[in-house]
Amino acid sequence: MTTPLLRVERLEARYGPVRVLHGIALNVYEKEIVVVLGANGAGKTTVLRSISGMVETSGLIEIGGESIKKLNPSEIVRRGVAHVPQGRGTFPELTVEENLKVGAFIRNDKDINNDIETCYESYPVLYERKTQAAGSLSGGEQQMLAVSRALMSRPKLLLMDEPSLGLAPQIVEDLFARFVTMNQNQGTTMLIVEQNAQLALDIAGRAYVLESGEITLEGQAEELAKDDAIRRAYLGA
Amino acid sequence: MDLFLQRVFDAITNGSTYALIAVAMVLIFKATTLINFAQGEQAILGAFAVLQLWYWGIPMWGAVIIGMLFSAVLAAGLERVFIRKFDPADHLPLVIITLGLFLVINAIAAIVWRFDPQSFPQLFPSGNAFTYNNVRLTWYSIFAFGSCVLVLVVFQTLLTKTKIGLAFRAVSSNLESSRLSGIKIGPTLQFGWALAAAAGTLGASIYAANPVLQIEPSMMLRALIFSVSAAALGGLDSLWGALIGGLTIGFVQSVVVQYIPFIPNEMSLSAAVVVLLIVLTLRPSGVLGTKAVERV
Amino acid sequence: MLQKLYSSRFTPERNYQIAKWTFFVIALLLIAFAYVDVGTISIGSNNYNLSLIRLNKAIAYTIAILGLQVVIGYTGQIALGQSFFFGTGAYISAWLIADHSWPFLLTLLIVIPSCFLIGMILGLPALRIRGLYLALLTFGLAAVFPSIVKLDKLYGYTGGAGGKLTSNYKFIAPSWLPFDEVAQALQKIPLLGDFFGDGPLSTREESRLWKFILFSLLAGLCFWLVHNLIRSRPGRAMRAIRDNETSAAVSGVNLALTKTLSFGVASALGGIGGAIYVAEIGIASPDDFSSLVAIYLIVGLVVGGVGTLPGAVIGGLIYALVPDWASSTQSISFVPERWLQGPTGSLILGVLLIVLTLFLPGGIVMGWRKFKNKLLGKELSTAR
Repeated sequence: MTTPLLRVERLEARYGPVRVLHGIALNVYEKEIVVVLGANGAGKTTVLRSISGMVETSGLIEIGGESIKKLNPSEIVRRGVAHVPQGRGTFPELTVEENLKVGAFIRNDKDINNDIETCYESYPVLYERKTQAAGSLSGGEQQMLAVSRALMSRPKLLLMDEPSLGLAPQIVEDLFARFVTMNQNQGTTMLIVEQNAQLALDIAGRAYVLESGEITLEGQAEELAKDDAIRRAYLGA
Repeated sequence: MDLFLQRVFDAITNGSTYALIAVAMVLIFKATTLINFAQGEQAILGAFAVLQLWYWGIPMWGAVIIGMLFSAVLAAGLERVFIRKFDPADHLPLVIITLGLFLVINAIAAIVWRFDPQSFPQLFPSGNAFTYNNVRLTWYSIFAFGSCVLVLVVFQTLLTKTKIGLAFRAVSSNLESSRLSGIKIGPTLQFGWALAAAAGTLGASIYAANPVLQIEPSMMLRALIFSVSAAALGGLDSLWGALIGGLTIGFVQSVVVQYIPFIPNEMSLSAAVVVLLIVLTLRPSGVLGTKAVERV
Repeated sequence: MLQKLYSSRFTPERNYQIAKWTFFVIALLLIAFAYVDVGTISIGSNNYNLSLIRLNKAIAYTIAILGLQVVIGYTGQIALGQSFFFGTGAYISAWLIADHSWPFLLTLLIVIPSCFLIGMILGLPALRIRGLYLALLTFGLAAVFPSIVKLDKLYGYTGGAGGKLTSNYKFIAPSWLPFDEVAQALQKIPLLGDFFGDGPLSTREESRLWKFILFSLLAGLCFWLVHNLIRSRPGRAMRAIRDNETSAAVSGVNLALTKTLSFGVASALGGIGGAIYVAEIGIASPDDFSSLVAIYLIVGLVVGGVGTLPGAVIGGLIYALVPDWASSTQSISFVPERWLQGPTGSLILGVLLIVLTLFLPGGIVMGWRKFKNKLLGKELSTAR
């Protein structure tokens, strides 16, 4: 078996005296879309923040077989992990183009402008508004911008924290369809945490279910979608 | 009418120097929502350094540039040692630390250079650029205003056209996403502190070079209040707002206070505080500032 | 409360408290008699004065810092302008004493309500202005106070730049107080008697002693009231606001009322401090109430310990003694003279402020409590 791109073992995290993750294990292999499902407060966001180095943790976190546990967030980004935080991961006062440039902050190569052009080709809306402040975009557009911003660092792994939050269903569908395209065309590996289980399971290869800081179920997305407990808890069936 | 015009010119002169200190405060506030109470003292220390360098025989403008570099390096050090370890959201310790820096820097300046006022070398050509009846527009006024605009243009360019400038603005816009984009927050804010201190030193040097003033350790205390009001008036996060705020405060000080009979002359400082009170109560984001969006 | 006192009347804890306070009062009186004349401590070639004048000033600062404890320490509002109220109290008291020949204690009846009211009114913007903005505004307030009292229009009340003399009022100790007898008794103590001077007290010494006792009693009263305030319902509301304003509001705390009350109390305490200050030095002059004073009071607050009552006492002492002793220091080997002649006190206070904030955020009082707990903890473990 190949080494996973992301390997997490025995992950524990706490905010002050409150422990939110109790020994989590999960793997993400290259070119996969993996989903972590869970209700509010299950610790989904903390999983992603732990990987990005934003919270104190114990346990093991590896990218491509190398531990990133002792690194600070800016070094973890340089190891190829991009993170779209919950809500809008954009810089509202900066223009759309500047947002993308910030995304490429860790790069020094000549291809940055090409990548920006590529991004504009896939999202013409962003091109039309490239000199406008990001804060003036609609919710869906901002989410697209946040994802594009994260992709500008040419990550090996893209972490996304509830990309569907606060967006209209149609926009979410469009957004998730784009994730699939991205995954198929560019081979972007993604770890998405979601409450919207239906759509997430549709696009994911594998999935984990997180409850009160523990992984209670894991498997192929198709099979989980058929699981009775999941259907009752997350699919409203 | 002549008197009025003369006072407008005075307003521009004073306003420009307030604006330079205000710009320094705005830079730091923008990124960290911290108000640096020691900003004025850092500036006067820089101006004394300029004076010292000039005594040692360094040409005036060379001294100013070295003095600005000196205070930039000093400010970067202060940020690293005293500011970075604190949580930016917890204001009390940070206010206390900057008050402590205020006392220490003020005392050191007074110990090294004494309290006696000393004359500061001319930075700009002396004499009048323009005379009309009794109205005089000095070269000093023109150059003070010009320097202020120049500094703003340079900062604007630095913030919009360079990578570190972009990082600085990203940090002030969204701290978490900046971190997740690989920006190193500490050094970026340190850059802001350095830039602010350099602007402050230039401001204090220009202020002290006013032919009618002399340099002394406590001269910045008054200027600090005027500058704070200027910064708040312009919106604490707007660079150009600082200029507009500075000019407005200068205008209030030399025109409004002079023309309203029941406000005595010594009340210009109080007038500035009243402006501050009104702005903070009615429109905390200032005239040109961005309205803070409270996200839940 | 009464129930609690009653039930614990005979416990060792209560005996310990009584013993502690009795000891404290006796110590205070001994100090008063010992330093009624200026006492001098010599270290090297430097002489440091310790006298009731300094201690009386320390009491004035202590009460002002106690006000800061209420508004900053317990309500969490960064209000830096205590010198404004310190000055207001001082000037009102000075005006009543000098121009209307009021006795000192009676002036407090005007000082307290007017400072309370002014504090509440000036606190009103604070309902909208928070955090750093409030710090800015209150600092501005402190900065303008000297220029307000120097106004020509107010000359009749404030005496302008020259200040207002209050030396027409003399503190005369009531004749029933056995000052002389106590002094002479203390002088007869073998070995230690020399500390208490020689012969009966002069009128000036008696007056000084009387002031010290009076101010101490006033301070004690203020502490008792604040102590009870912070344990009362409004006091709990204040602490709730300090810890989390939003959750305090949703728990039904009336933010507006609690904050204005806190500002009012703080300002009234500032005013009492100012009145005592003027009663001690005999003149209210504008530059004694500059923004530097506002910062020094903050130093006292922080060095003593934010949010602790005994911290105010330590803070007051530090403010009254450090700058004074710093300027009495004429020479220390290896330190260039220049560094001793300038505003060395200001430098030391600034360094103290920074060092304590960095390394001992709870100030001296919290540091001491931690140290004590450590000792007690060790004793307990060895006893077991």
